[in-house]
Amino acid sequence: MLSYMYFKSVYDKKFDKWSLISDLLIRKAIFYDDEELEGDAMIPVTSRAEKLMSNKYFRKLLVNEITSAKKSITGISADNLKHLYVQQGLDKYALNNLSSGRWYIRAKAVQELTIMDMHEFVEQICLYTDDKNDLVRMEAQSALVHFNGFDGLHFLDTVTYPISNWQQIKLLQQLSNVSPSQIDMSPWFKSANSTVIVFALKLARTYQRFDLYYDIVSCLDHSDPTVRYEAIHCLKDIYTDETSDDLISRFLHEILKNQLAMIKVMETVGTDKDLLFLLDLLTYENDEIKIHAARALVQSNKDGMISLEKYSREENQSIKEIVMHIKGEIAA
Amino acid sequence: MSWQTFILHFFTYGILLYSIILLICYVLIGAFSISETRSYLHKNSFTDYRMLASSTETPSMSILAPAYNEGANIIENVRSLLSLHYNNLEVIIINDGSKDDSLEKLINAYDLYKVDFFVNQQIKTKPVRGVYKSYNPVYRKLIVVDKVNGGKADALNVGVNIAKNDYFVCIDVDCVLEQDSLLKLAKPFLETTNQRVIAAGGVVRIANSCEIEGGRLVKVHLPKQFLPRIQTLEYIRAFLLSRMAWTKLNGLLLISGAFGAFDREIVINCGGYNTNTVGEDMELVVRMRRYMEERDEPYKVAFIPDPLCWTEAPSTFKILGRQRNRWTRGTIETLRFHKVMLFNPRYGILGMLSYPYWLFFEFLAPIIEFFGTIGMIIYCFTYAINWSAILIIVGVLCMGILYSIFAIMMEVLTYNQYRGRKDILRLVGVAILEPFVFHPFVVWSAIRGNIDLIRKNNSWGEMTRTGLATEKKG
Repeated sequence: MLSYMYFKSVYDKKFDKWSLISDLLIRKAIFYDDEELEGDAMIPVTSRAEKLMSNKYFRKLLVNEITSAKKSITGISADNLKHLYVQQGLDKYALNNLSSGRWYIRAKAVQELTIMDMHEFVEQICLYTDDKNDLVRMEAQSALVHFNGFDGLHFLDTVTYPISNWQQIKLLQQLSNVSPSQIDMSPWFKSANSTVIVFALKLARTYQRFDLYYDIVSCLDHSDPTVRYEAIHCLKDIYTDETSDDLISRFLHEILKNQLAMIKVMETVGTDKDLLFLLDLLTYENDEIKIHAARALVQSNKDGMISLEKYSREENQSIKEIVMHIKGEIAA
Repeated sequence: MSWQTFILHFFTYGILLYSIILLICYVLIGAFSISETRSYLHKNSFTDYRMLASSTETPSMSILAPAYNEGANIIENVRSLLSLHYNNLEVIIINDGSKDDSLEKLINAYDLYKVDFFVNQQIKTKPVRGVYKSYNPVYRKLIVVDKVNGGKADALNVGVNIAKNDYFVCIDVDCVLEQDSLLKLAKPFLETTNQRVIAAGGVVRIANSCEIEGGRLVKVHLPKQFLPRIQTLEYIRAFLLSRMAWTKLNGLLLISGAFGAFDREIVINCGGYNTNTVGEDMELVVRMRRYMEERDEPYKVAFIPDPLCWTEAPSTFKILGRQRNRWTRGTIETLRFHKVMLFNPRYGILGMLSYPYWLFFEFLAPIIEFFGTIGMIIYCFTYAINWSAILIIVGVLCMGILYSIFAIMMEVLTYNQYRGRKDILRLVGVAILEPFVFHPFVVWSAIRGNIDLIRKNNSWGEMTRTGLATEKKG
């Protein structure tokens, strides 16, 4: 323990010195006069820093600092950093790391090349979008979206491994920074990979793709309940006059979670013609269905509250409490 | 061979065998913990939690915080919960029939009014007296529930009934959470694709002597008092080694009641928290796992090594004794409720490894240790002392100390919360002292827990706290 603490303090001192050298190098690159960087011009690097380049720990430190600086700056300074990165051959090391046996080195290499905007390596990165390691493929998929925006999503045509919700959030976040595109998403709704369909549904909802309405409705009959749930959720934003009928016709065959989601969507898409259906739900045993139905009844029908109150007068105590609950919600 | 010699040999070699198996378990726990922690830290280096904080796609969460006579600090504690970084959040405070002025204080501080609220009794509980919401839109996330006293498990069940979100996080209202704790806890639920994550836990750390301002942890210090300091080491060992190792094996049985997230749907299907045990946190995780195993559904109980929750540790032997007594009773009750799983291959790792480990090395260890010590004393008085037995004891003690030092190493290499060299050396000192000062007391408390259980004493045991607000800086 004591020897570890001793070596750590020695390493920390060395690390502080290296940190200083790399800081100076990065500062020099950021403030370098852009006109001097035309062609094969070089950012001057001290002999000490040059010597340290063969040390993999120093290189790791330098790359971490360059990528962290690159993330927070744009324009000429960012270009200069990229120039320094290439000039010192750090891109070659990253490329070598892509074929490492360790997943975290491969993932780090993909991330590094993405941050440094190394477009020339897109083809190599593309090979990792269906890697068996989740982190590597996540980084590769994010890289394609970073480089090509919506066109980068074409990895969805071939991806066989599931795309986690975490990755879906990350991709949606990245896409929010690029201008929307009318990319052809229909093939993704027919993917054998359920998570691709779920992601396509999220994209359709986020980008209000009304042209995909029938693709979305077709997902209501998918065998995977998660896909059906996402499709129901999507219909809250992308709907037509037929939507409530589409939902009602499938209601009885759904699992409870999806039934509740359907009733929730009825709050938005329901009309006066759905009054009887919603009133019928109030006779169900499950109190959660009753609350959702009562809420949908009030939200979707102009006479919903009157019908609900009339119904509650004839029914048991729990319905009366539910009506009070809904009234309270509206008042709030 | 005389019967005395036979007993002596049986006793000596029995303890030797038990010790060897226990040491093997410790070595394996250490190895699995290193592997899992390394993997987590590598994965975490690619994670940007800010992305989750701003996303509308995050899973919705409800915080459930039962409160009983917490009037002294409740306003501050609730404010701290309301300030957590998370998008889809509701904070439900359950006043479990407090005898003090907790409810009045909350009503006044947060501008609350009673609402008509239909409580869907998916889990049977004691009656709810009222549900309160705030007039002030700033506190729109807050729901306060006033109910008839029924204990922590019953209060949590009321929270589960009232919560409307997919996941809930149960916490002790007096705990201090890291601002990004919910973001970190949500990640396992989002990143797992081939299994359903039914629960997730995070590391609980000791907050005594730490600087806390406005319900937020400002600076970490090693506790100044001896008992909290020794518990700091105990928590590091339990969370960084044991729980990480069991997570690697997907055999984790316990998520601390002080801070854990659960899949609400599975909890309701399982019948909620068991009100007939004082170990409701462990019992729920075991029951959820059993439920999933019996349905052959792939699942996972996740655990993350980041320090997310800070709690006040008992600083007197009296309170500590009550806590350990309760923990022992909770463990025994849980093991008893689910005894069908012992060495039952139907339950996989749960039945073949996790349950037997808890039975033999968590429940039985203090009993064996206690009677072993009594035996040793008797042998000393009858001059029948066996030197090989003494060697075993010394060996076990040394391994115990080494294991603690290994835990401190893991802490330094990973999260390094106690940065000063002096603090680390103090922790090493505590690791050397623990087997002689603290451990015998813990064993004795466990024995008292066993006795209380036999006497059918089911009390929770009053947990008087000095309050973390008193540790404020300046």
